[in-house]
Formats: sequence, C-alpha cells, structure tokens
Amino acid sequence: MREQLADTTFLLPAIIFIVLFIIWPIIQSLALSFFRWDGVGPWKFIGLYNYEKMFTRDKYFYLALKNTVLFAVVTTIGEMSIGLVLAILIDLGIRGWKFFRFVFFLPVALSQVAISLLWVRIYARNGLINRLLEILHLESLHHVWLGDARYALWCVCLVSIWQYGGWHMIFFLAGMQNIDSQIYESAKMDGATTMRRIFSFTLPLLKNVFFIIITLSLILGFKNFDLVYVLTTGGPAHATEVLATQMYQHAFDVHHYGYASVIGVIMVVVALIFSIFYIRLTGYRKEIAEL
Amino acid sequence: MARFKSNDIGTPFVNALIIFVLCIWVIMQLYPVFWLFMSSFKPSLEVRAKIFALPRSLYLENYNFAAFNKMNITLHIYLKNSIVVAAFSLTFLTIVSVLAAYGIAKLKVIGKNIFIVAFLGLMGVPVHGLMIPIFYFFVRLHLLDNVIGLILPYTAFNVPFAVLILQSYFRQFPDDLIDAARIDGCSKRMTLFQVVIPISLGAISSVCILNFIGIWNEFLFALVMMRDNAAKTLPVGLMGFKGRYVVQWGPMMAALVIAIIPTIIFYFIFHRNLMKGISVGAIKG
Repeated sequence: MREQLADTTFLLPAIIFIVLFIIWPIIQSLALSFFRWDGVGPWKFIGLYNYEKMFTRDKYFYLALKNTVLFAVVTTIGEMSIGLVLAILIDLGIRGWKFFRFVFFLPVALSQVAISLLWVRIYARNGLINRLLEILHLESLHHVWLGDARYALWCVCLVSIWQYGGWHMIFFLAGMQNIDSQIYESAKMDGATTMRRIFSFTLPLLKNVFFIIITLSLILGFKNFDLVYVLTTGGPAHATEVLATQMYQHAFDVHHYGYASVIGVIMVVVALIFSIFYIRLTGYRKEIAEL
Repeated sequence: MARFKSNDIGTPFVNALIIFVLCIWVIMQLYPVFWLFMSSFKPSLEVRAKIFALPRSLYLENYNFAAFNKMNITLHIYLKNSIVVAAFSLTFLTIVSVLAAYGIAKLKVIGKNIFIVAFLGLMGVPVHGLMIPIFYFFVRLHLLDNVIGLILPYTAFNVPFAVLILQSYFRQFPDDLIDAARIDGCSKRMTLFQVVIPISLGAISSVCILNFIGIWNEFLFALVMMRDNAAKTLPVGLMGFKGRYVVQWGPMMAALVIAIIPTIIFYFIFHRNLMKGISVGAIKG
C-alpha cells in the first residue's frame, strides 16, 4: 500500500497541472456562465439568464453556430478529399514521392497567423488573385474577397483547406502503411489493376482512419479561432463569425465574461461528445482493458 | 512507406499524369510562400505594381529592423519571447509527462485506468473554453504580460497527449533492464532517471518535437495574456501589421518571412519525426 502511494507521486506534477489549468477552469467556466461579470466588479448571480439570452435573443449566436458548423464540415470535406488523393498518389511510390510528401506537409507546420496574414494580401483588392484574374482577362470575377459577405466564409475555408490537406494526407498514408502487402500481392496475382486495388482494397481498409480523421478534423474546425480572427475578425458584418471569435469578443471586447462563458461551456460539451466517439474509434478501450 | 516502385504503375503515360497532378499541387502549395519571399525583396510600391514579377533587385530595406521598431513591431523581442515560452514549456512538459507516463506504465499507481481515461478525455477539451478562467487566474496573480502565464497553461494543455504517447512507449520498455537496475540497488526514481530516460531519448524528443509546433504557433492565449508589446510572442506581434490604415506591404512581407523561417528550418530538420509522430499519436493500429 505504501508502495502504491509512493508510486502515485510520480503522477503528482501532472495531476497538479491538469487540475489547476484544465479541470478547475472548466468548472469555473461553467460557474461563470451563470453569473454576470465585467472583469472588475463582483460576480452577480443571474441564473440561466445568459443561456436564455443567447438561445432566444442572440441572432449572432446562431449565425456563428451556423458558420462554425459550416466551416468545420466544409474544411473537413475539402481537406480530406485532397489528403486522400495525395495519399493514394504518393503511396503508389512514384519517383520523388518523398519530396512531394515533404512539400505537402510543410504548410501544416506553419503558423496560422502567418499564413492568414499572407492570404489577406492574396485576397486583397489589388492582391494576387484579382491580379491573376486581370491577366486572364476575367476582370468580371473581380471581388473584394474577404470583404464580400457572400464569399468571405468560403475564402476562409479555402485557406484552411490549403493549409491542412497535407495533414490528412499523412494520416491516410499511415493507415495505408498498416495494410498488409500480402493483400495487394494476392490481388495482383488475381489480375487486379491498380485502380481496382485502390477502390476495392485500400479504401475499405482505411475505414477506421476515415472515422478518426473526420472526428479530429471536425473538432479542430469547430474550435478554430486563429484563421478566422486574423483573416476577417468575424466580418464583414459577422459573415464569418464563428463560436470562438464570438466568445473572444464577448469576453475581451465588451467584457461580458459571464455571457462569453456560455459559449465556452457549449464548446466543452460538444468536444466531450466528440471525445467519446474518438475513444471508441481509436481502440483505446482495448488498451484500457489491457491494464 | 510506399510499397510500389515506379514500374508498378500502368503505362508511362499514367505515371507522367500522376507526377503532373502532384506537381500542380506542389505549385499551389508553394507558390504563395514563394510569392511571399519574392515580395519581401521588393519595395512596397513594386510589390503592388509588379505583383508577379521577380524582384528587380534584392531590396533589403524591408528587412531593416529599425523600420520595424519604428512601427512598434519589435520582431526581435517577439522572437525572444516565443523562444523563452517554448523552451520552458517543453522542459516542464517533458519532466511532468515522463514522470506520469512512467508511473502509469511501470509502477503500481492507484487507479491507472481512471488516469488513462481522464487523460484521453482531457485531450479533447477545447482550451478556448478555458480562456476566461485562466486569464482571470493570472490577472489576480498580477502575472499578465508575464511568460509564466503562457508557459504553465501550455505545459498543462499538452500533458494529456504527451503522457498517453509516452506511457504507450514505456509499456513496451523491456522490464529486464528495469529489474536489473532495481536489483543493483536503484530506487525507482533512480531507475527512471539513470536507466530508462537515457535509452528513451528518442521517444522523448519525439514528444517535444510534436508539441513544439503547437506551442510556437499558439495564438489565442498569447493574444489574451500578452497585451504589452514587450511581452508578446511572435504570432501576436505579427498582428501589429493588421488593422493599420496604410499597410506597408514590403516590410510586412519581410517580417512574415523572418517569422516563418524558424519554423521552416525546424521542419527541414524534424519533418520525418513530425510525420511519424502525428500518425502514431492518433492511429492506434
């Protein structure tokens, strides 16, 4: 028993960090959502007022929610498609595949802030895209991309897809690596062409990877802040507002910390649901059972 | 990684097509970055006037740090802050997670299962939701604009993931070595530090490499905690270029180049590690 106690001390630093900076803040966030607080005065208990206001009288909340879901779904689909195609092509082992893999994963490592600042210039009125259209005599397609409420969100999604296609690619490649070569060998001996191999063997066997990457990508898209904040700050006129930017603005622009916490709570709840999916998918259950 | 060599791909035409498609995407991915580098060597007017052309000459004025300082964008300070935060965060993270992971993997810890499940669940927590309480925590301690306000949370946020990865690694660590050390009289702590860790440096450095990118590029918390210009990390500092009424494209391009060069160098050195870590971390085969 004493030995067990001594051994548990190995976990003490981790426990302290986690309780102090994750668990306790979650509880505080939940608590704060039931209060009104402006950052200087005392907390004022107002029960479910914040929730009621956000769900019934805040149209920007629903706009942000819609945008957030749209962003998460669109970027997941886009990134996954690109990642899958790239992975399939690279897994074929053509000459120079290492170079391609290297290049495609590079944007993933870059700062979203730096990339966004770059793309602001690309999307600018006299930026790369419009100039390119000019050269192609397609001036009619000229737009102030990030300033047009109809296109702004799609432009933001595009930046994410551009940056993270390589991330999905790596996941698929890893999944493909796990597939036993024997399967391909016997398929080849049975006369399967490469295309057949891909569609009938590779893709089905990647089912698990699909689910994992979809889950991860959705949750990351759901809480995205950096990209949106730097590209458009939620504008124009809230057209690209997402939950994370809403929360930031409620908290640090207008100092309605209690109200902002409601969004925080929502994000934690949604993440929890996704986590449950994730745990089941990655087979951690088996690992837990092994203990 | 790829199992088929080029002679396995149908006709040479198909082979060429594949390479063509891949090259197109390489251009799509690299051109913006290439354009960034090119533009940084043009004076602001030329950037906008001749947007596609190669720079007429290597205009180095954009890289003049004094110009940055005049705009109150003190790049060298931001770089310094980012380095400090990353270094300390990774150090604390390593110590804390190695201890915890070893405990879970090899020692008789009370309620191992609970911890693993807890770490798994915590991994999915959107730290954005914790922004306000953590901000308030450091405000009360008067530690706003202090690197500790970032170092401690960054460490905490990455502990679950790091512990999970390391405990998986430690579980496969040969018990014979540990037993031998114990028989020779090592305490559990000594065994860990003098026997296990030196051998496990590969896995440990992998964890550091994986987490470095996230910490270096972190934006939200840095934005919230670091208000004073002297305290900002790189991502936050770069925001100084946004919202200016008259944007100077030249210097901004140069600043962005300076900002992403450390990341690019890091990537050049560690890309294999990164790729392996990302896939291993999430796909439990």
